[in-house]
Amino acid sequence: MDLIDLSNVEESDGRFLRFLNELCDTLEFDFASYATTNPVNGAVQGFANYPDSWIEYYSAKHLHHIDPTIRRGSRSIAPVDWTCFEHDDAFDAVFRAAPSFGVAARGITVPVRGPYGDLGLLSVTRDCNDAEWDSLMRKVVGDLQVAAVHMHDNVMQSNTLLKALRRPQLSRREVEILQWAGEGKSQQDIGDILSISHRTVEVHLRSAREKMGALTTAQAVGRAIGLGLIHPG
Amino acid sequence: MIIVIDAMNRDRHEDILEEMYRLRARVFAGRLGWDVKITNGKEIDQFDNLDPAHVVSLDDQGNVVGCMRLLQTTGPHMLADVFNAVLDGEPPLRSSQVWEATRFCVDTDRLSRGRTRSSISYVTSEVMIAAFEYGRRAGILDAVAVIDPVMNRVMIRSGNAPYDYLGKPTPMGKVTAMAALMDCSEERITRLRDFAGIDHDVFTPEAEVRAAFERAQAIEARTLPPQLKSWLDLQLSEAVTDEERTAVNALRKTLLEKAHTAEIHRLPEALPATH
Repeated sequence: MDLIDLSNVEESDGRFLRFLNELCDTLEFDFASYATTNPVNGAVQGFANYPDSWIEYYSAKHLHHIDPTIRRGSRSIAPVDWTCFEHDDAFDAVFRAAPSFGVAARGITVPVRGPYGDLGLLSVTRDCNDAEWDSLMRKVVGDLQVAAVHMHDNVMQSNTLLKALRRPQLSRREVEILQWAGEGKSQQDIGDILSISHRTVEVHLRSAREKMGALTTAQAVGRAIGLGLIHPG
Repeated sequence: MIIVIDAMNRDRHEDILEEMYRLRARVFAGRLGWDVKITNGKEIDQFDNLDPAHVVSLDDQGNVVGCMRLLQTTGPHMLADVFNAVLDGEPPLRSSQVWEATRFCVDTDRLSRGRTRSSISYVTSEVMIAAFEYGRRAGILDAVAVIDPVMNRVMIRSGNAPYDYLGKPTPMGKVTAMAALMDCSEERITRLRDFAGIDHDVFTPEAEVRAAFERAQAIEARTLPPQLKSWLDLQLSEAVTDEERTAVNALRKTLLEKAHTAEIHRLPEALPATH
């Protein structure tokens, strides 16, 4: 997945919108939105690349108060496909008009939970038939999970207090594996060197990347060097 | 039959969850002697209040016979907050594609040995298959499970061997806890299905689960007064030795056989007050 690394671009709300646009381009969705309640000041923060007319309609009618993709979706641990709201009157009330704004009522919401009770929701929509949707989901649901956490962590980090709380806590194993990755070793090589399976190397690398707020191993290595966690290879 | 109960649908299945918490009390406090808190015959901890997903298995008669709890590792979870000794003081994994599995148990009193649909082995495999399939659909690639050495051996024997462990086996009260890593992959699901001989969809439509569960509840309610039932559950969860547990089960059986008599329905009045 090739997305902009939010922690690497200048801090402005524009970067979040850019991230959502790229997400749509890369994973083949029409629209994407992200919402969270800041656990420190209680402010609701949201970003969306929906048509302006839909955003105006949605906010003018205060639909976020009844929108089940937000109210119920936030309490699931798994991504919530909107088909489960088929018989939900609230969903119907929110999305009945959506097609006339060019927004399909077919979507999925990925809930993110952070370590301090913080919650974020990444939603994407696409106008397509069932078969297309199902095959797209099988292909990209893992990428959506990664993108949702990346977006959420970066929105949380834009708050100074939360940024201070979130200094990456890497385990010794994660540091060791990042160090070898920095020396240019492949996952297979690292597994051989440390006498662990290549799957174990991979699970630690994924975890280390997310803790460093990075989307690629190279970014994670660079950031770990910057923080003095590992030495340049 | 399997149903996944989380915050999205729990308002419709509170009663199934109650039975699940009772099963957990019988297993973890009773049979395994873990240091867990029991309230009114139910084992509920802080993580149950964080909207986890519960994979719940019911037998054909509608009794809750197995369960497992799933939480995301990006937020609060047991390895981060309770079992960190297992990780040797190291920070836990944090990944959008790793889920944590805890509180796995099956009802060994109700289920049989052997390989039938009502066996320990079948229900164990069914819960595992459901958890991995539910995870895969959510884009999950690996699971980290908090287990004990007995469970570890069961998993190795049933085509479900962990590919690695985090930290080291750590004594926690009377038991040893381990953190096992398992890939959430088609290969593992196929191995589990082959071992158990399960080729059907393990997820059962909600209406079917409700019908079976309500049938089982109705039979229980007809037979034993609720106070007597919860008193028996309490005795079972407070039993310390195997003899005590056998005695409670024998008493339950005797009472069920006489359940149609008026004496049984006058019994609750004679029970000591419970907390």
